[in-house]
Amino acid sequence: MADHAPSVAMEAVLKPSCDLPEDMPKIKGYDFNQGVDLHAVLKSYLTTGFQASSLGLAIQEINHMIEKRLEPVEAEGNECNESGESPRNSGCTIFLGYTSNLISSGVRESIRYLAEHKMVDVIVTTAGGIEEDLIKCLAHTYLGDFSLPGKELRLRGINRIGNLLVPNDNYCKFEDWLMPILDQMLLEQNTEGTRWTPSKMIHRLGKEINNTESVYYWAYKNNIPVFSPALTDGSLGDMIYFHSYKNPGLVLDIVEDIRKLNSQAVFAKKTGMIILGGGLVKHHIANANLMRNGADFSVYINTGQEFDGSDSGARPDEAISWGKIRTDAKPVKVYADASLVFPLIVAETFALHADKLTAGKKTD
Amino acid sequence: METVRCRVARFASDLASLSARLPPEHINTAPSLSSTPPPPFLYGCCSKVGRACALSVLFFLEAPLTHRTMADPDCDFQTGESGASATYPMQCSALRKNGYVVLKGRPCKIVEMSTSKTGKHGHAKVNLVGIDIFTNKKYEDMCPSTHNMDVPDIKRLDYQLVNISENYMSLMSDNGDVREDLRVPENEVGKEIEAKFEAGEDFLVTVISAMGEECAIATKIKQKRPAVGKKAKRGASWKFTLDLTHPVEARDPGLYQTL
Repeated sequence: MADHAPSVAMEAVLKPSCDLPEDMPKIKGYDFNQGVDLHAVLKSYLTTGFQASSLGLAIQEINHMIEKRLEPVEAEGNECNESGESPRNSGCTIFLGYTSNLISSGVRESIRYLAEHKMVDVIVTTAGGIEEDLIKCLAHTYLGDFSLPGKELRLRGINRIGNLLVPNDNYCKFEDWLMPILDQMLLEQNTEGTRWTPSKMIHRLGKEINNTESVYYWAYKNNIPVFSPALTDGSLGDMIYFHSYKNPGLVLDIVEDIRKLNSQAVFAKKTGMIILGGGLVKHHIANANLMRNGADFSVYINTGQEFDGSDSGARPDEAISWGKIRTDAKPVKVYADASLVFPLIVAETFALHADKLTAGKKTD
Repeated sequence: METVRCRVARFASDLASLSARLPPEHINTAPSLSSTPPPPFLYGCCSKVGRACALSVLFFLEAPLTHRTMADPDCDFQTGESGASATYPMQCSALRKNGYVVLKGRPCKIVEMSTSKTGKHGHAKVNLVGIDIFTNKKYEDMCPSTHNMDVPDIKRLDYQLVNISENYMSLMSDNGDVREDLRVPENEVGKEIEAKFEAGEDFLVTVISAMGEECAIATKIKQKRPAVGKKAKRGASWKFTLDLTHPVEARDPGLYQTL
């Protein structure tokens, strides 16, 4: 008599399934027999599964943002905010947030591209995100390795950011460049009554660096406000600290900045958030969007996990519970290192629609 | 053509060979700062010429000095009130605790000094905390270690207290000059001066002068010295006169033995 498989097992394994609807997307990756077409590869990500699908969805979400942004907006004169700029000029105000390690890496070039062509409206970053960009205009950052021993690097005066290397000398050059600017800022504060805020300071630094490779040079040129409430948490803060001994009195007002940032969100027609990383940049943008009852479009790219209850690891659904994202929105979180995916995203979104995005600016 | 990976691996092996050559814990020791040896203290020499030479050497030495000047009618180094010599520059990294430095325009004694090496904040920096020698107020300053800071020229002088009238002290210096332009200070030192004066004690008042300001800062018990006007010489007790008019034996036959 043949051995029958136990019926319990059979029933468990061969449990009949109900039919899935026909229009459910089917998993199919890219076929390299078609040749190497990177554009098609990225398109196929949507049906590849796991984070590739998330990436495909993120690209779609950002393309929706861009579509809305390109929609013409009737000029409403009574809706201008205090600074005189009307965010309603754009059909969708895009907030871009990123952590400082991305500026240290080559993602800085992608971000600079976005600032250069005014493809984003508001930038939020940390102090390192400002100074690393300015320092790169004065001296280079090098590729190293995660495994380089810290002790030996310290002997040589080299700092390690992941697998990047930044010599101490770069910061010395930054100090020599920055101190006269701080003196000038203090002078203007005392004589002309300028009220400095972090965003005004970054605007000024972008003007002073005068280098087309810098993100903040283009942010200054295109009047993109850059917010960094924790501007003192980095080398910039060290410089400000030392400067306060030689030439005390410089004041940075974060109150004026929060008014400005929240107004950007409140008076916007529609908003989109693209947040690379966690921490301050993620929460600050989300909170500003809370003021308008939630962002319409949202893309998070970070490696945070939610099990510890941190805000950095929180999924977009948690933000919906706070009112930071609209309840009818379709936010996307990509669990990936932004250095890997952000250039690909820009390739499929902003760079793809570059002519349309920049056409409007040329006619302005 | 070297790949990126090979180049980074070559750098990593360079690092390892560098550490093998350097002494361990090199980075944790304080940076080697050029230290000038403290100047020799001058307590007094027998010979007037020797004292004058030593004093002139001291006068031109550049390190911050705290020394007692001996009053000497021939070479008087006490009065040096020209503003040009009030301060002199010194590299920040050469300053020491308990030295003197000008912070925010005030002459201060350094009570705390810490150095932070070159790093994310830029060049190496020295954090100084000093106490004003006249007002005892605390001042803080930060300076890159390669920059110069002004060091005040501090002079300490001892005067004998002769009289107190209308809160002004009459002080007599070693060479007999009396000055009456210093007030009794408002602090415990002043009270100490008044108390000792009332008690009729004989004592010296130490006056510190720096950057055009002067103040009495301490009292000192008077050491046994000859009266004012005479130079205090070591070995004064065994002063002897040489009498060449009489043979030695005639004066005291028993004292000197002929060989």
